[in-house]
Amino acid sequence: MSMQISSRILRLPGDTRQLLVKWGVALLVPIVMFTFAWSGETIVNQVILGLLSPASSNYDTPSLIQAAIFILVLYATVLALSGYLVAADSGRRKTLSLWLDILVFVIVPLFLVITNGLILGMAFAAIIWVLFFVVRNRVFHAKPSAAPTSVESLMLSDVEQKSLLMSRAIAAGFWFATVFAVISLVVDLIFFFTGQLPPVLLIWVVVRTLLLPVAGYFLGRLGGLIALRRVISNQQNGNSEEVGGVDKEKQLQVLSTTRLAEEARDIVPNDLPLRSRGAQRFYLILLAAFVLFYPVLDPFLFGSGTAGRLSGYGDAGYYVILALGLNIVVGFAGLLDLGYVAFFAIGSYVWGIFGSNQFNILTGIAINPQVLSALFWPMVIVTAMIAALFGVLLGAPTLRLRGDYLAIVTLGFGEIVPIVFLELDKYTNGANGIVGVRSPAFPGVEWSTFTPVPFYYLILVLIALVIFANIRLRDSRLGRAWVAIREDEIAAASSGVNLVQTKLFAFASGAFFAGVAGAYHAAKLGGVSPDLFSFGDSVIYLAMVVIGGIGSIPGVIVGALVVYSINEFILAQLDTLAVDPSSIIHPIYNAIVQVVPGFTFGNIRNLVFGIVLVTVMIFRPEGLIPSARRRRELHHTAADGAEMGSLDPPSGSSDMEAEMHVE
Amino acid sequence: MSANSQEVQDSAGRETGDVMLELSEVSKRFGGLAAVQDVNLVIRKGEIISVIGPNGAGKTTVFNLITGIYHPTTGDIRLQGRSLVGLSPDRVLVHGIARTFQNIRLFNNMTVMENVLVGLHTQLKASVLGSLFRVPGVVHEEKAARERAIELLGFFGPALVERQEEYAINLSYAERRRVEIARALAAKPKLLLLDEPTAGMNEAETLEAVKYIRRLRDELGLTILLIEHKLTVTMGISDRIAVLDYGRKIAEGLPEAIRRDERVIAAYLGKPSTKEQPADATPEPE
Repeated sequence: MSMQISSRILRLPGDTRQLLVKWGVALLVPIVMFTFAWSGETIVNQVILGLLSPASSNYDTPSLIQAAIFILVLYATVLALSGYLVAADSGRRKTLSLWLDILVFVIVPLFLVITNGLILGMAFAAIIWVLFFVVRNRVFHAKPSAAPTSVESLMLSDVEQKSLLMSRAIAAGFWFATVFAVISLVVDLIFFFTGQLPPVLLIWVVVRTLLLPVAGYFLGRLGGLIALRRVISNQQNGNSEEVGGVDKEKQLQVLSTTRLAEEARDIVPNDLPLRSRGAQRFYLILLAAFVLFYPVLDPFLFGSGTAGRLSGYGDAGYYVILALGLNIVVGFAGLLDLGYVAFFAIGSYVWGIFGSNQFNILTGIAINPQVLSALFWPMVIVTAMIAALFGVLLGAPTLRLRGDYLAIVTLGFGEIVPIVFLELDKYTNGANGIVGVRSPAFPGVEWSTFTPVPFYYLILVLIALVIFANIRLRDSRLGRAWVAIREDEIAAASSGVNLVQTKLFAFASGAFFAGVAGAYHAAKLGGVSPDLFSFGDSVIYLAMVVIGGIGSIPGVIVGALVVYSINEFILAQLDTLAVDPSSIIHPIYNAIVQVVPGFTFGNIRNLVFGIVLVTVMIFRPEGLIPSARRRRELHHTAADGAEMGSLDPPSGSSDMEAEMHVE
Repeated sequence: MSANSQEVQDSAGRETGDVMLELSEVSKRFGGLAAVQDVNLVIRKGEIISVIGPNGAGKTTVFNLITGIYHPTTGDIRLQGRSLVGLSPDRVLVHGIARTFQNIRLFNNMTVMENVLVGLHTQLKASVLGSLFRVPGVVHEEKAARERAIELLGFFGPALVERQEEYAINLSYAERRRVEIARALAAKPKLLLLDEPTAGMNEAETLEAVKYIRRLRDELGLTILLIEHKLTVTMGISDRIAVLDYGRKIAEGLPEAIRRDERVIAAYLGKPSTKEQPADATPEPE
C-alpha cells in the first residue's frame, strides 16, 4: 500500500509535473490570497478561538460553526478541484495563457472585491474584463484563441490511461495540499514570531500541516473519480457508454463541428477544463456554500454594515424570481410580454391586502396578527395562483397575436393593473397604498421588516424552488412544446401541440412566479403602493432576461443580478463615492464638475444605464450566459443566412401565418 | 359525428373499400381569390395518392385545409366518416392525420431527438405537476418516448440514430426530410400527408425517398397522400393521381391515364396536343 502511494506521488512523469506546476500555481495564488490577504486565516482563527473560549468571542457559537463549515467546504472543494483539473486537462493549452486567464478572471476580481466590496469590486472587474477582451481580440485577431477540439483528442482511455489520469489527480491533490500547508506554516510562523499569532493556535498550525497532505491525497482522488466519470472508453463496458443504442464514440464522430464543440466541453480530457461541466459542479458547491452562509460570513469579509447589505440582496432576490418567471414567457415560449409588472403588482396587492389590517377593514374578519403571519406560507401559493389566473385572463384574448401586436396588448395590461389598484381606493387606499403588511412567521425566528436575515433566507428558498421548477418545466413535455412554439408555431401545431393550452400555460407559469415574488415583496417592504409598479419596471425585467441570455436559466439569474446591481447599487452609490476622496471615481468626478458645474451622477443615472444596455447588446447580443440553442441560433443565421434563403423559399408562408386559426 | 359512412360508393362507380379520407365539394376563398374550388377526393385505406398540378394550383392549400391550418369556406372533409372541419391542427393530428411541409419545417434549433419528441407530444400524458415532481410514471414515459423516438429514426437506417444529438439545422437536406417524416410518424397517424417529399433532392436521394415512402405503406400500413412535382416519382408509386389546376380538380385516375390526359397536358404546357413529358413543364405564368 505505502509502496503504491509513494509511487503515485513521487515518481511522476515529466508531463504530469508540468501539469502540476500549471494548475498548482493557477489555484495556489488565489487561495493564498484569500487566506492571507483577505479573511480566510482570520475566519479560521476566530472560529478556533471562539469555540475554545465562547465567552471572549465577538461571535456566537452557531455563527462560528457555520463559518467553520464554510471554510471546510471551501478548502476541500479547492483540493478536489485541483485533482479534477489536472486529470481533466488535455494539456493542449499553453500554461501562460491559463495563468493570464486566472489573473484576469480570478485574481484581479478577488483583489477588487477585497478593496471595494462585493458589488463595486465585481463592477470594476467587469470593466477590466471588457478591456481584456478588446485587447485580446486585437492581439489574437489573426489566429483563433483556442484550437478547435478535434474528435481525435476526445477519443482514448483504456484502463491504462484511466489509471494514469487517476494517479495524476492524486498527485495533484497531494502536492497542492502539501505546498499550501508549507506556505501556511511559514506565514504562521512569521506571524507567531512577530507576536501576531496567539500561542494557543500553534497546536492548530501543527495539526493542519500534518492533516492537509492526507486530505489532499483523498480529495485529489475524489476529483480524479469525478473526472473519470466523464471519460469516453473505447471498450464497451456496461450501458453507461451506450446512449440510445449507439456507442457514444460513434455518435461524436458524426456530429457537426459546432455540436461537437458543445459536447467536447464536458468530456475528459478537455482543452478548457476550467469551463467543463465537471468543474462547474465544484463552482456550484462553492457558490452554494457562500450564498448559504453569507449572512455569517459578511462581517468577516466586508466589515460593518451587514444588515443594509443583506436587505439589498434580499431585494435583488425577487428580481431573480421575476426574471426567471418572465424567462418562461419570453425565453421558452417566445411570447413578448411588456406588461409583466402587472402580475408582480397583483401578487404584491394580494398579500398586501390579506396580510394587513386592510383585510379586517374590508371583510370585518379579525385575524390574530400572529396567525396572520403564519398564514403567509399557504397564502404564497394562493397569491401565486391568483396571479396565474390573471395570466390566463391576459393570455386568452392575446392568443391570436404574436410579436409586436402581443407586446402592445401586454403593455396595455401592464398599464391597466396599477391604475386599477390606484383607482380602487376603497379597497387599496389608492395612492397612499397599504401599510403595515405582516412579515411571515416561523417558529423560533424573530421576523419583521427590520430583520433582513430571515428575508434573505426566505428569498434563497424561494429562488431555489423557482429554479427547480423552471428546470423541471424546461425539460418536460410542456417545455419542449414551448420551445417548439417559439421555433415554428405551425409546425408545432401540426405536431400535436395545442397552441391555446401551451401558450396559456406559459402565461400562467410566468405569472405564478411573479405572484410569488409579489407576496415576498409586499412582506419585505411592509407595504404596497401603486407607484411601485410602472412600465419602466416591466422593461427592466425584460432587460434582465435579454442581457442575461434569453431562455437560459443561469443566464437570466446573472442578468437579474447584474441589472439590479447596476441600477440599484452601483449607479445609486456613485454620488456617495464621488465625494469620497479615497475612491477611484473621485478624480473623475472632480474633472467633470470643473466642466459641468452642478453635475451629479444621480442626474445621468438612466443615461449610464442605457449606455450599458446598448453596449452589452452590441457586443454580446446572445446575452451574458446564453443558452446553447440561442447562441447557435444567432451565430448560425449570420453564417448560413445565404444557404437558408436558397433552400427555403418563404413562398406563401406569411399568408399561412396570417390565416392561422387557433381554436 | 353521428354519420359513420365506412362504405361509400365512389362517384365514378368504382370498387368500394375502406374510405380513409373524403373531401366533398371543398372550397377555400381568400377574399376574392378562390384558392380551392369544389374539390372532391376520396382516399382509401392503404392507398398512395398523388396530387399534382402547376405552381399555384392550390395543392398545398388542400393540405392546409385537411390538416386544419385553414378551414374550408364550404364543403366537408371527413376522416373515416368523422368531419374534421373546424378542428385545430393538433386535434386533426389526434384524429390520425400527420403531415410534412413543402419547405421543411423542423424545429431547427432543437436536436433531432427533441424534434421527434415534440412529435410524440400527443402520445405523452405527463401533466405539469407530474413533470414538476417527476413522478415515476413521467420518468418511465420519458424513457419510453426516447426509445420510441430512436425506433422511429431507425426506420430510415442507423445514420439518423447516430446523429440524434445533432441540431436539426446541421443535417443534410435529405436527412431533414427524413426527420420531418419521423416526427410525423411519432403521432401514430393513419394518414400521412407528404408535401413534396423529394423537393431539392438529387437522383439518388429521390430514389431512396421513393423506397421509404413505399415502405411507409407496406410496413407501417399507412395511407399516403402526397404532393409531388417529379413525375418520375408520382408515376412510380401512386395508386391514383389527382390533378389540380386553378384550384379545381381537372382529372383523377391511374398514373397511365393521367399521363395521356389532354386536360392535364394542357394545364402543364398551356396548349393541347403535344405529347411531351409533362415533367419538364414550365409553370403557369401567373
